[in-house]
Amino acid sequence: MLGEFEYLILSAAARLHDDAYGAAIRHEIEEATRRHCSIGALYTTLDRLETKGLIKTWMGDPTPQRGGRPKRMVRVTATGIRAASDFYLVVRRVSRGVSWEANRIAVR
Amino acid sequence: MGGEPNRGPMMTRIFWRLVDILSRMLDADERQAVRGDLAESGDCAGMALRDVLGLIARRQIGIWKQWQPWLALLGVVCLAGVPLSRILFRFNVDLSQQWMAYQQYGVHFGTLLTPQRDMAFLLCLAVALLVWLWTCGFVLGSLSGRAIWFTGSAFYLMVLDSTWVRFALSGNIILRNAGLLRLFVAATVPLNIATLLFLLSGLCGASLGMHRRVLPLRAVYVLASVITILTILTTWMSGWYETAHETWSAGAWRGASLLMRLLPFVLVSWPVAYLLATAKRWTTTDKETAT
Repeated sequence: MLGEFEYLILSAAARLHDDAYGAAIRHEIEEATRRHCSIGALYTTLDRLETKGLIKTWMGDPTPQRGGRPKRMVRVTATGIRAASDFYLVVRRVSRGVSWEANRIAVR
Repeated sequence: MGGEPNRGPMMTRIFWRLVDILSRMLDADERQAVRGDLAESGDCAGMALRDVLGLIARRQIGIWKQWQPWLALLGVVCLAGVPLSRILFRFNVDLSQQWMAYQQYGVHFGTLLTPQRDMAFLLCLAVALLVWLWTCGFVLGSLSGRAIWFTGSAFYLMVLDSTWVRFALSGNIILRNAGLLRLFVAATVPLNIATLLFLLSGLCGASLGMHRRVLPLRAVYVLASVITILTILTTWMSGWYETAHETWSAGAWRGASLLMRLLPFVLVSWPVAYLLATAKRWTTTDKETAT
């Protein structure tokens, strides 16, 4: 079973597809969560996902806007897609019959 | 850091410089990717520094989840470092006594041995110390990897200071009016050339160990043979002092047994056994791959 942050990375990488790399994934996660995503958390989680065989990473070409430094490119593997899909199904299943929006209004 | 936009005031420049320096603790590929990400995202210097520090901390914690740095810390720093400190201390005392007696009075400092025997022992101990420290340094570098900044510092301080600490704790030396700064300098700076040379030997070994990790089997056989011969020689020669003192005191003073004299030399020699084990495994794997 994936962790929450692992799922965020897999989703961001899948959405970015061929443009998935460290800074872009981080930007996607920060946009989605509206919270700061630390480089430490991102890179150690990328390592963990790669060890589990859920993603594949490699060093890309250097670009001028990065000061001529290469990107760490990311691709979600078939196993990664299955794991993210399973996680999403679990979240949907467990959320059935729960309206968080209604609960939030009730709390207010 | 090249590629960042205007860095602004002094503090910002210092922070970026720190990011540059600290990021060297990361692997080459990761360093490039992280610095590129920071340049692209345009984070402020403080945030970039915090992020890099966070990543380094996580990487260091990850390193200590493996057994190798622990073996370096317990096996090399503690097990070999303590006897090495005692041997180095004894060498420095014996050498300085002889040197001062010769410089001031032009005579040999009386140790109940002939000057030739004293010289032979000191020479043998000097060569042995160089080889032991190089081997310990190599194994430390090989086992520690990116944790070398910690294990290396611990080894340095252990070899330099553990004997002094033991003397201070046992009351053999009393520290009077010792200022903190003076204590710090004495504990961190090698105060004589001999110690500096020996520590440089350890540093060379550590540097090579970090890059090569293992030595070819033939080189390890040569190193193991040299260490065995030097260990036997130093044990045998240190017995000269015991015998001379026993004779001088007409048997009233009993010297250390052969086993007790051998033990510290064996403890400082154990890293070569690790080199033998890893070199053998490396050769076997190579042969398996070839077949």
